[in-house]
Amino acid sequence: MSVLPPFELHRPTSIEEVVELISWDDLPYVGGTELLLAMRAGLLNPRSLIDLKGVAEITGVRAHNGAVRIGAAVTHQQAATTEVISEKLPELPPVLLHVGNPRVRWSGTLAGNLCFAEPKSDVIPFLIALDATVTLVSADGSREMSVREFIIGPYFTARTEHELLAWIDIPVVPGRRGTYLKYQVMERPTVGVAAVRLDEGDSTITRVVVGAAGEVPVVHDVDHAHPDRSAVATAVVDALEPIDDLTGSSDYKRHVTAVYVERALEKLERM
Amino acid sequence: MTIRTVVNGRPVTEPIPVRWTLAEFVRDRLGLTGTKLSCGMQVCGVCTVLVDGRPVSACSYLAVDVDGCEVTTIEGLADAGSLHPIQAAFVDHFALQCGFCTPGFIMMAKSLLDENPRPTRKDVVDYLDGNICRCTGYQPIIDAIVDASERMTP
Ligand SMILES: Cc1cc2nc3c(=O)[nH]c(=O)nc-3n(C[C@@H](O)[C@@H](O)[C@H](O)COP(=O)(O)OP(=O)(O)OC[C@H]3O[C@@H](n4cnc5c(N)ncnc54)[C@H](O)[C@@H]3O)c2cc1C
Ligand code: FES
Ligand code: FES
Repeated sequence: MSVLPPFELHRPTSIEEVVELISWDDLPYVGGTELLLAMRAGLLNPRSLIDLKGVAEITGVRAHNGAVRIGAAVTHQQAATTEVISEKLPELPPVLLHVGNPRVRWSGTLAGNLCFAEPKSDVIPFLIALDATVTLVSADGSREMSVREFIIGPYFTARTEHELLAWIDIPVVPGRRGTYLKYQVMERPTVGVAAVRLDEGDSTITRVVVGAAGEVPVVHDVDHAHPDRSAVATAVVDALEPIDDLTGSSDYKRHVTAVYVERALEKLERM
Repeated sequence: MTIRTVVNGRPVTEPIPVRWTLAEFVRDRLGLTGTKLSCGMQVCGVCTVLVDGRPVSACSYLAVDVDGCEVTTIEGLADAGSLHPIQAAFVDHFALQCGFCTPGFIMMAKSLLDENPRPTRKDVVDYLDGNICRCTGYQPIIDAIVDASERMTP
């Protein structure tokens, strides 16, 4: 007796081979930290799994065109301890080193996190705050889009049936400051708040992105380096559509969100 | 599918069903039942084993993914009958009661100390975030790991 349903296994070594195989019935995986649990629960029953770990083109992290490019097979732990990232995106490792637990971080990837589009993700709000993009590749070509456009709703992305998420690009912006604060008592956060400050032309933008508390991340930009913290918190909470679940009631989530938005902004002021 | 791996230093070549988890492979095929199973969803840590030195939850990891890798289970820690320093520290600090969670905590501790030989108490607590013990109240476990680190790196 096995805990997982039967499936076939593919071990391609190039993106070209992957995109020939990929479909809603033939699912790519790296860690399987989400996928295997969904299969075990009977929520997914793929014909085959496509192991991406042997695809060299998507295994590393490198500087590319003013951005840091993170391959789809890169795990949270690997990204958090890669030199290019510590050097160019020092705000990222602390976020990745608080995803789940060490076992999840060693196996799970940033790309898998985005593709699964779990509403209680830490990676999604932070990557939206950093203006990250994803590159989707299919046999017909490739397209790039922002993470903000990619995440459509809970467990729902803009990826189509035969597309592979090949890599994530995070722009490196001189002078940008960013932080992420989360409140978490169980396996997943109740609320996660990313706060980023960056110069755009003559003005400075402060951006707040709130994840986990609602079904989709709330993005709020203010054209000011030092915005009124409680006004931002009120605006964000107004835009939030929380639901009652095990991490708290909707009223509770509104309250915690306001507190964490103010704290994140306060932390940003000191950076 | 046939996988080739080294388990606790011993080369193993075995045909296995592709759908097997690593826990099914080490427990049911190799008889290494020191690796326990409980939540089955990466939350409790009782199934922790090391794959090329990295901690993984054997309950939620495909056995085929250890093809070409080295696997260490709790049975691989003691050296010719003498306890590994982490195991000895667990005994000395009474860091277990029923003992069901112990293999997982010890494997996590091994992985932590390999990465960070002299962790602070807070480092230990953070690292063990994904391991659950229903008996000890955790303090003796933390004491044991801090003590083991001092014994191993005086
Ligand atoms: C106990 C536990 C705690 C966790 N805690 C947190 C947390 O605190 N914060 C957080 O953000 N996350 C958390 N997670 C989620 C964690 O699983 C993800 O962050 C993880 O990184 C997913 O990566 P993966 O490689 O394992 O994805 P997989 O499970 O391999 O894949 C997930 C899905 O995406 C698809 N997919 C994967 N890669 C690609 C690709 N390149 N192109 C197209 N489709 C793809 C797969 O087919 C599958 O449907 C937790 C998970 C567990 C089990
Ligand atoms: S049984 Fe694997 S983590 Fe709980
Ligand atoms: S000693 Fe019983 S669960 Fe930890």
